[in-house]
This record gives sequence, C-alpha cells and structure tokens, in this order.
Amino acid sequence: MQKSKKIVILGHFGVGKTSLIQRFVKDSFSDKYKVTIGVHITKKIVEVNENDSISLIIWDLEGTDEVQMIRQAYLLGTHGVVFVFDVSRPSTFQNLNSDLKIVAEKTPDTPLIIVGNKIDLVIQDELQSLLKDNNIEANYLTSAKTGDAVNEMFTHLATLLNDLT
Amino acid sequence: MNEKDRLEILKDILFTEDREDIDKIANRIELLEQAYNSREKFASRVDPIVEEQLDKFTKSIPHTLGPTITATLKKEIQNHKDEVVDALYPVLGKMVKKYVAQEIKVLSEKIDNQLSFISAWKRKLRSFFGGSKEKELLLDDIGGEKIEQVMLIERGSGLLKASFSKTETIDEEMISGMLTAIKTFVEDAFNQKNQELELIEYELYNIHIQSFVNYYVAVVISGAYSLKAKDKVQDIIFDFYHNFMEMNLDLIYTSRHLEQPVDTISSKLIQKKLAEYFGNAKI
Repeated sequence: MQKSKKIVILGHFGVGKTSLIQRFVKDSFSDKYKVTIGVHITKKIVEVNENDSISLIIWDLEGTDEVQMIRQAYLLGTHGVVFVFDVSRPSTFQNLNSDLKIVAEKTPDTPLIIVGNKIDLVIQDELQSLLKDNNIEANYLTSAKTGDAVNEMFTHLATLLNDLT
Repeated sequence: MNEKDRLEILKDILFTEDREDIDKIANRIELLEQAYNSREKFASRVDPIVEEQLDKFTKSIPHTLGPTITATLKKEIQNHKDEVVDALYPVLGKMVKKYVAQEIKVLSEKIDNQLSFISAWKRKLRSFFGGSKEKELLLDDIGGEKIEQVMLIERGSGLLKASFSKTETIDEEMISGMLTAIKTFVEDAFNQKNQELELIEYELYNIHIQSFVNYYVAVVISGAYSLKAKDKVQDIIFDFYHNFMEMNLDLIYTSRHLEQPVDTISSKLIQKKLAEYFGNAKI
C-alpha cells in the first residue's frame, strides 16, 4: 500500500477551502457556494519525485470564524495543516497571526502552510501592501478560480511530508 | 670423584624427600588437569555445587531480583501503556463478553421457549396469506449474514492500515477517512466519555465497529445482523487483533534487541491476516 498522509484544510467561512481542493483534485471550479457541513474527505495521489508518490487524504473541515471552536477530534493524527484566508475579505485575515497561534497549539509539531486565496479578485500591487500592512507572511497566494499556485501549494506540502518520514 | 660428583651425591642425600613431594604434587596436578579437561569428570564434581547454588539463587529471586523486576516492568508498562492496553483489551474484552453473552443466552433460551410456538403460528399465517412457502420464510428468519469487507483503521488520523474486501467498492482510503470522521463526530457531539460508536446500519448492510486504543476495526456485513452473528464477529475481531498486537510487540522487542528503529508491519502481511481471519469466517 502507498504511503498515506492526512492533511486538514482550515479557515474562516467562504475563504475557498473546498474550491481549492476541487481545483487540485478534479481540476474544476464552481462559482456556486456550497457550505461544507462537518467534514468532507477526498484523496489524491501526488508524485513527489520520479520514483516516489504519496497519497494525500484531504480533510476539508467546515469553516469557522472562531478558530478555537474547531473540533479537536478532527485534527487528531494529522500530518499537515493548510490554513486558508480570503485576500479580498479583511475579516478573514485581520486576526490571522492569533488564529495561526491557536492552530499551532492545536496541532503541535505539524507542518503548517498559510494560503491567501482568491487573488483573482484583487489588484496585485494592492495585495502586497495589504499583506504588509497586516503583517502577514503567506506561503502561497492562490486562486482556485484560475488555478494559480494551487498545485504547487499541495505538491509542496506533499513533498514536505514525504521528506519528513 | 671430582667436586661436581660430590655435590650431586650431597644433593641426593639432602633433597630426596623434597623430590618425592614434588613428584607427588606433579601427579596430583596431572590428575586435576585430566579431571578438568574431561567434561564428564569435571561435571560430576562441579554440577552438584552449581545445582545447589542455582537452587539457592532461584529461591532468593523474590527477595533479591524481585524489586528490580517489578520496577522494570512498571517502567516498561508506563512507557508503553497503549501497547499493553491494546494487547490486553482483546483478552479481557473476550472474557467479559463471553460471560455476559452466556448469561444472555440462558435468558434468551428461556424467552425463546416461551415464544417459539407463537413464531411458528405467525409463520404459518404469513405463509397462508402471503403465498410464500413456510420453508422459505423459515430460511428468511434464519438470516444469511456475510462478511463483505474488513478494514483496520488508525484512530484519529483515520488512515487505512490494511483492508480485505470480497466485493469492489469505492476507494477504501476515503471510506476509512469518512468512517473516522463520522465516528469522531458522533463520539464528540454527544460528549460521552469512553462511549464509542459501535454500529452503522444502512438497509441490508451493517458496519460493525470495534475500537481499540490505537486502531479500530470496521467490518461490513450483509444480511440481517443478529446478536449471534455479532457475537461471532466480535470473537473474530478479538482473535485477529490479539494476533496483530502480538506481531507489533514482537516487532518492538526485535527492534530493541537489535538496537534498530521500530519499523511497522507491512500492509500486505496484515491484509493476508485479515483474509485469513475474516475471508471464510462463518457468522
């Protein structure tokens, strides 16, 4: 059996967590917003190098504005975390650093990737100053709609997890 | 006669007795050497002494080594609580379950005796009005449970450790993840400590879930899932898990012994074991 790793996707409501997964797994995008209730699980086999691949089991957790309220039980045994915020909605990143601190406490010693999504909705120059003004260091700036940096982000995490074992 | 000869005669006179003693000592050393080199002779002398010492040592173990052994065991158990509980759980669970099942069986038999004649009449009436043969209805009543699929899943992460399936299903890794999410949600939502989700029913299928400390086993069963079948399924799960934990403990022991890092048991081997235990099991 292939090496499997569990990753969880966290973030506020409507930041595009499900869309990012949809883009990565099925290479598709829908404008219709469907709220995730509880958790939805998908899987994708990712090639990390010429001879090695890894099975990513992706837990898409329902969005919450209170990061503290995320069910701890869903985070058990997770190997990697992706925290998504919406670059077009300040309410999803205004408290980003304190949110990330809570996430890190809930998932100690677990690689965490910070993703700013929906970059297709903002002007590039404004985006950079927005991030700087809010003291945000995002690992990836993505767009589930156009597919920008989505594959790179998941593949980077898969490679990271593969190298850790 | 020169001076040298005279000296020799003098030596003979003076040291005759000593020489005899030296010869005697040499003889004894030779005998001792023979005895030492001959295993049998040596053993006949030494064995009784060793046995006596060993006997004394055995008797003194509780006083001398006892506290050290107890302390070591305590430490080992503390360091490997999960493994110990996992190893004991199937054994204890089986004992308790057997006792309770036996008591229920006695009670059930008493009730069955009271109700059997009512069931027979009900069947006759169903046969008369429904048009089915009484024999067919009887077969329906008996059941026909079958194990369709078994999965060994890591608790928490929900990652599939190994599986065995008689029929084609959708991706088992996704099933195990979703099952874990459902299980986690139910156990978390009702906030009942130490309560576990044990059964999921959907029409003609049942998923029996047996939780342990590090893993849980999910068995998909088709057909009416009776109490008797549940009892058998639990027995098979406990037997399998006991064997699986033994393999784990052996692995930990071997790894420590060889001072190598602990590896995991290959999925293929576990899969083989799952097929062995569940493949042709009659429930």
